[in-house]
Amino acid sequence: MMRGIFQGTRGDHIFRAATISALVILTLFFTLIIASLLTYTDWNTFISALMSPETLFAIRLSLLTATLATLFSLLIAIPVAYAISKNNFPGKTLVDSLLDLPIVISPIALGAALLVFFNTPLGAAINNNILRFVFSVPGIVLAQFTVVSALAIRLLKSTFDGIDTRFEQVARTLGCSKLEAFFRVILPLSRNGLIASGILTWARATGEFGATVTLAGATAMKTETLPISIFLSLASANIGQATALIMILVVISLLALLIIRIITGRRYSL
Amino acid sequence: MIEIQNLSIRLNEFSLENLNLTIQGKEYFVILGPSGAGKTVFIECIAGLHKIKKGSIKIDGREITHLTPEERKIGYVPQDYVLFPFLNVRENIAFGLKKSRYRNIEIQRTVLALADLLGITHLLERDTRSLSGGEKQRVALARALAPGPKILLLDEPLSSLDNQTSRYLRLELRRMHQELGVTTIHITHNHAEAEELGDRIAIMCSGKIIQTGKPHEIFFSPDNPIVSDFTGSLNILPCNSCRQLVPGLMEVDCDGLRIVIPHDEGNMEKIAISPRDVQISPALPPGPSINRFKGIITDILYNTTTAIITIKIAGIHIMAEMPAELSREMSLTIGEEVYVILKLRRLKVLKRPAEETRGEFRWYYQEIL
Repeated sequence: MMRGIFQGTRGDHIFRAATISALVILTLFFTLIIASLLTYTDWNTFISALMSPETLFAIRLSLLTATLATLFSLLIAIPVAYAISKNNFPGKTLVDSLLDLPIVISPIALGAALLVFFNTPLGAAINNNILRFVFSVPGIVLAQFTVVSALAIRLLKSTFDGIDTRFEQVARTLGCSKLEAFFRVILPLSRNGLIASGILTWARATGEFGATVTLAGATAMKTETLPISIFLSLASANIGQATALIMILVVISLLALLIIRIITGRRYSL
Repeated sequence: MIEIQNLSIRLNEFSLENLNLTIQGKEYFVILGPSGAGKTVFIECIAGLHKIKKGSIKIDGREITHLTPEERKIGYVPQDYVLFPFLNVRENIAFGLKKSRYRNIEIQRTVLALADLLGITHLLERDTRSLSGGEKQRVALARALAPGPKILLLDEPLSSLDNQTSRYLRLELRRMHQELGVTTIHITHNHAEAEELGDRIAIMCSGKIIQTGKPHEIFFSPDNPIVSDFTGSLNILPCNSCRQLVPGLMEVDCDGLRIVIPHDEGNMEKIAISPRDVQISPALPPGPSINRFKGIITDILYNTTTAIITIKIAGIHIMAEMPAELSREMSLTIGEEVYVILKLRRLKVLKRPAEETRGEFRWYYQEIL
């Protein structure tokens, strides 16, 4: 019976209508959610919520911590992704899967694991003598880094995978050491991937909540990033401020995704 | 001089076994072989792109087997050229010069000189992605030559070009080699390219070098049927007996066909001739009757530009190749009686292989005859 319906030109039309309907429904769903934010609050409430010292603090802290977490993530992700992409070693699949864990594991679990680590003698020594992470701003950066570095590695690995090894080989025959070939050829060839990875990592870090709240806590005007500020606003029934903060997050994320689409649409080719 | 001794390497699908080769300084050396013969792996070993566990490579007596590619100072042009897409033509050529020991003015002078030599001065500011195949090839050559290597490795440099560009660039390569005197190793699967360019040629098959020699030695005295077949001799005739007519000229009995061949020794196993070197004439052609036979056309096969005509002479079949247009003009038909002339100087001798290699080639005879 099913086979009969989906046969011939009529079948093609039904299939096309079904897939496009799913696309329309999902797009409508997200548009409706965003539109409900706009209708829930008026412009004056939005502006006053946006200009409140708490919101401005949250924006500043989010931008600062997300930028630092992204920089640290890229610094570590570039060599790690290159090592996984260009080398074969025993246990590679296991290492690769381990590095992917933060992508799939709950951020709260990651934050809790970090909190547990800082209660061990080594962790406590670091926290008490070197840099205070628990319930402090460095803790936000560490929590964001832990969650987003895996994403940066994954994105960069696929960038390095797509680079023909012969580019590096030619550079070496032209007098470059492995390190020089990496900086003079591999990195310029990865430019688009690096930018896209940086933006996506940064956007993800800006929205990080679970690990941050667990390790750094949710103290107003101290460890209050944008998502934590949303959480605190909702907890104190300040829906207007929460809506303004959500809108900021939506705009940041949308801009990041648009920029990535524009960049990756202009890939290098041979 | 490049000396390669007992070089063996095994990579996923390719392996090289005990390769021994000596290439003289300033020589244009061509390695000819079918796809999958291991030619690319071989020159990548010379360039230092694979770790060598067995064997040695020396350049001018200096051991380079375990040196990194940048320490070897060998120019390398890979297949498809692999130009850096984020640099323009000028920057690509200058890439190997941008080391601290070169001053900017020296770099620009070298780039200009090479661009001039290769006729690409007008392309210097162009994006490499907008170049044609022939232009890319010249830029890749200029880039490889810029640091002044003593050895240049070319991996199928003409294979992705159209016929006309390829023929023109062969002349360019020859001229460039004469001007710069860089020892060049060029790998290809095209025997015409090898014949035209090589001072010497090595035939490579299944990771082994089967024969090395000057082009006329390879093409007119192939050591075995693999070489003969690869160099384009599809007519391979058995040699039942032979006798010397005069010094340097032998008469060979090939299943009843008496063929005269310029050769001195009686060690002939088979003789071969390319279909391109077999001429057909419906009427008795003028001139001496040496290697002129009467036969009957048994088959005519037309390709796009050529016609392959099979003629039965005595008990054997000989194939002749001619332009399709000429064949149509001659109105050749199956069953027609024609005269066949085998070009004396184009006949090739397959010497009797040494006892230990006979078995190896036996299967091959069966396949191609």
